Amino acid sequence: MTVPESGRPTRPRLKPRTFLIAGLVLLFTIYSGRQVGFTITTFWEVWSNPLWEKFWPVPWEWVLDRHNVINPLIETFQIAIISTLIGCGLALPISFIISPLTTPNKPTYLVAKGIMNVVRAVPDLFWAKLLVTAVGIGAFAGSWALSIFSLAVMVKLFSETVDSADPRPLEAARAAGGRHTPAVRTGVLPTVFPSYVAYSLYVFELNIRASIVLGLVGAGGIGRVVEAQRQYFRFDRVLGILLIIFVIVIVIEQISVALRKRLV
Amino acid sequence: MPVTAPPRPRTAGRNWIIAFIFVAGATWSIAGLDVTLARLLGAPADAWNILHRMFPPAFNEVYQRGVVGKVFESVYIAWIGTIIGAVVSLPLAFLAATNVSPRWIRTPIRQIFNAVRAVPELILAVILIPITGLGPWAGALAIGIHSVGTLGKWACEAIENSDHGPVEAVEACGGVWVSGMRWGVLPQVMPVITSYWLFRFEINVRASAVLGMIGAGGVGAELVSQLVFRNFPAVGAVLAITVAVVLSIDALSAFVRRRIITGGGPTKNRNQEATADLTGLKY
Repeated sequence: MTVPESGRPTRPRLKPRTFLIAGLVLLFTIYSGRQVGFTITTFWEVWSNPLWEKFWPVPWEWVLDRHNVINPLIETFQIAIISTLIGCGLALPISFIISPLTTPNKPTYLVAKGIMNVVRAVPDLFWAKLLVTAVGIGAFAGSWALSIFSLAVMVKLFSETVDSADPRPLEAARAAGGRHTPAVRTGVLPTVFPSYVAYSLYVFELNIRASIVLGLVGAGGIGRVVEAQRQYFRFDRVLGILLIIFVIVIVIEQISVALRKRLV
Repeated sequence: MPVTAPPRPRTAGRNWIIAFIFVAGATWSIAGLDVTLARLLGAPADAWNILHRMFPPAFNEVYQRGVVGKVFESVYIAWIGTIIGAVVSLPLAFLAATNVSPRWIRTPIRQIFNAVRAVPELILAVILIPITGLGPWAGALAIGIHSVGTLGKWACEAIENSDHGPVEAVEACGGVWVSGMRWGVLPQVMPVITSYWLFRFEINVRASAVLGMIGAGGVGAELVSQLVFRNFPAVGAVLAITVAVVLSIDALSAFVRRRIITGGGPTKNRNQEATADLTGLKY
């Protein structure tokens, strides 16, 4: 038996198409970099900026005062809770409408799906700003905006679960003579309900984060305080609030992840 | 034989407790949000009023103000943010993966990912704007930092799911750790990681549109100023252009991601897999 001569396998060759794509990506990156004002030295300028000193020390007695931070923070939670309830509640029937498996009829399906796609393409804070203009500054506008946004996210997540649900119980219910709504309720809902609850918890987590920043555009909650202190150039207070927010977001995420693990 | 209905499963007690928690949460929230019935009933009319006044959208006026350029500025910000996130997160992800990195390195890096992910882009931008000044650079940096957290986590999970065989083969040939990663792991995970980058880019386009509202460059500033002047036809046009660009980027990116993952073969439902990856939930 003879051992083959060459010791090394040949190196795989890159196709010319790979170079073309890499070149295009690189060109687009350089072009966007110029548009954005990016140069490598800007990183250093960010870190060496003397303004960082204005963030320190954090005035804890101001930050921990009830009226300054805690009350707006409670408002933030209230916005997140109510909009999760409204958004996820409305998402349940809409998800069934926009899933091919359970839709009542084709026209309703197309119209609902089109509307939901457009609603989802508008970023959350755009909704907030629009509703602040419509119904006035405050937490009321924020709850509306976040309800719409969580509806859009929830419908996207949950309707895909409904799409992939087992169709056989639904067929059985129909074969037994069930009308559309009872057939869906008894044939599909029980199999997808655990995912629904798990997604709702995930949406709640998203809503907590979103409701923190709502105040930056005047829609209530803790963001309002951040925005005000930012305009007074009290960056030390801003940092204090942000540290509190940071801790809360992490705690809520941990709780939500633990709950979701038990559910699914 | 008499036919009887099967007994209903009994979960009544627990359901009452859950229902009570829901009602209590809703009541507490509504009480705190100074909602009156008049306001609640008036809101749809107010919202409809504004929506109604957006038609027909003033595309011409908005075009002359250069809004299209602003929308693309948002896209550039999102792109640079994604690039920063991708470049920083890729090496860190290797150091954070359970199967290829020792505990004393991966634990702190995982904590960094978690910490970075917990801070929303807008909050990062609030911190960065006084440092960098108003403008797109603040937005790009904020998005970049936030993306490091999510992209790092996703890439790390992809590496953990990779096959260990090639790494062993490289080690058996006398390769060092870096060669094992370069030739054993990277070729396996690169398609998945690239599709995560694109997915993050889609999210970042929306985020950068929003960042403009607090002065970090892009289309958000335009929307705010038109809303302040209550120039609703222009608001309608800005929204329509933004939605059109966001939806086209989503579609384009979804197409490329599908090509990367399935190689142009028969398509699988990537959407569901992406959702599962994103939320950590399985179907």
